[in-house]
Amino acid sequence: MKKYWGIFRISFQQEFAYRLNFVLWRVRNVFQILLTYFLWSTVFAGPGTQIFGYDRAKILTYVFAIMIVRALVFSARAMDVSRDIAQGDLSNYLLKPLSYLKYWFTRDVSSKVLNLIFAGAEFIILFLILRPPFFFQGDTVALLAFTASIILAIMIYFFILFLISSIPFWAPEIGWGSHFLVTVVIIEAFSGALFPINILPQGLQSFIMATPFPYLIYFPVQVYLGNIQGSALMGGLMVALAWTGVLWFSLKFIWQKGLKVYQAIGR
Amino acid sequence: MNRAIIVDNLVKNFEITEKGPGLTGAIKSLISPKKKEVHALRGVSFTIQPGELVGFIGPNGAGKTTTLKTLSGLLYPTSGFVEVLEFDPWERKPEFLKQISLVMGQKNQLWWDLPAMETFELNRAIYEIPTRSYQENLKELVELLDLEKLLETPVRKLSLGQRMRMELTAALLHKPKVLFLDEPTIGLDLIAQQKMRDFIYNYNSKYGATILLTSHNMDDLVDLARRVIVINEGQILFDGALEELVTKYAKEKIIKATLSKEDGIADIEKIGKVKKLAFPQVILSVPRAACAVAASELLQNFPVDDLTIEEIPIEDVIRKAFKGGLKR
Repeated sequence: MKKYWGIFRISFQQEFAYRLNFVLWRVRNVFQILLTYFLWSTVFAGPGTQIFGYDRAKILTYVFAIMIVRALVFSARAMDVSRDIAQGDLSNYLLKPLSYLKYWFTRDVSSKVLNLIFAGAEFIILFLILRPPFFFQGDTVALLAFTASIILAIMIYFFILFLISSIPFWAPEIGWGSHFLVTVVIIEAFSGALFPINILPQGLQSFIMATPFPYLIYFPVQVYLGNIQGSALMGGLMVALAWTGVLWFSLKFIWQKGLKVYQAIGR
Repeated sequence: MNRAIIVDNLVKNFEITEKGPGLTGAIKSLISPKKKEVHALRGVSFTIQPGELVGFIGPNGAGKTTTLKTLSGLLYPTSGFVEVLEFDPWERKPEFLKQISLVMGQKNQLWWDLPAMETFELNRAIYEIPTRSYQENLKELVELLDLEKLLETPVRKLSLGQRMRMELTAALLHKPKVLFLDEPTIGLDLIAQQKMRDFIYNYNSKYGATILLTSHNMDDLVDLARRVIVINEGQILFDGALEELVTKYAKEKIIKATLSKEDGIADIEKIGKVKKLAFPQVILSVPRAACAVAASELLQNFPVDDLTIEEIPIEDVIRKAFKGGLKR
């Protein structure tokens, strides 16, 4: 355990070695939120406008909730794994009495802690400036379920990233392209980070809910808002848990295969 | 344990995808990838005793680094048997990893943006080194490698030589019993090379560590390794004492003579093959067996001031070996 505390500390320091870089990344996040906010604000500009069962207050709450959940779930470093594999830097870790998976999970957690601190500050500032109608959840059960769904979301995202990053074992030059497709296109669209899943037609909705993606953003946010309760809540948590297990086993399997073909290149 | 390392009939094949030049090549390789099998190791066998310091020689792509990587558990052997300190390296058990280290000349484990001290601290945690021995080891390494003033400097600001010494420190903090060094002096200047060699020699003799090193630098091998393994195209060509390599494969010896007069110098060709003739110096190459006879003939028939008999330089022997002059 002490090992991983050491890693936590050093990655925290590493983030601060490039302060400007970090600040710019946060600025990008703020702009993204503002963009989404003004987009929906304009769509719902007319008084009493309702689209897909969302009014202005609901959609804006959704947007702000996304901001926090995003910071928790999407701030991850594990995409660097593909570079480690392609360029052979993985060797450095394999030589040490250390679990490479836990190593990256620790780095992710450290990145999340840092990002959460900043996202919290941004949230307060933006909230004070824009003064949107926001819903604060007070129900203990909902908050507990929300915490559980966030932990599952973090693990699902981590495993998906790690799986995608394992492709260079077989195709070293493909790393960036697959990341773009999965993290930018598929995850952004199907996780609910751009729009709530329940504005889609019912059939498509059910299909997406069976994939792991909506459990990253959409599901935790809905749980926080209290829109998913009772058996739907339990069912959702079970699906998320099942995905966590499936992804974890696939990852173990893929890595067993991958390490055998690993070429440890770079001299 | 009487064998630190056992390698038996080790084979390692890589599969690589070939790509033609330019965009058409890229598209072709995408549609129908042309796979090619590379035979990096074709049945390599050797054993190494605890405390031995062995040098690995071979041209680029001979399989030296592949062997080291397999021994340290990075590569999965295609076939054959490998055992290091009675462990199967591939399993990468923590107890095994805590006893070995692989230092690669151009792959660094130091955190680029932070001072080397941070990496050392992290390794202390990862290898679970007790505080006391960590401090002792660090102090010793830092003094031996002359690093006191550089510990707080971010790694990216260090010179190559300084960084290599830091790498070595990071790799040795846990006092590995088996050390794999891949080109430890590559890119270093002469003084830094000598420092590195002295250090490796001391580490081996002081701690009885088993060391396997690869190098293109003949000085490394002459200074350090009593035993060498010559490898080419994935096969071992020679395994034995360095001097033995010379006596066994250098079929000739070198006679250097200084003459006092130039008279009849042309006749010197009759004694042996003239390698260099620049009065007053003559360098002859003669068959090993005929060496004594040639020397006495030279002394009797020519006005010799001074005469020495030498072995062919090790570089020449090895160069010859890789040109195909050295066969099993």
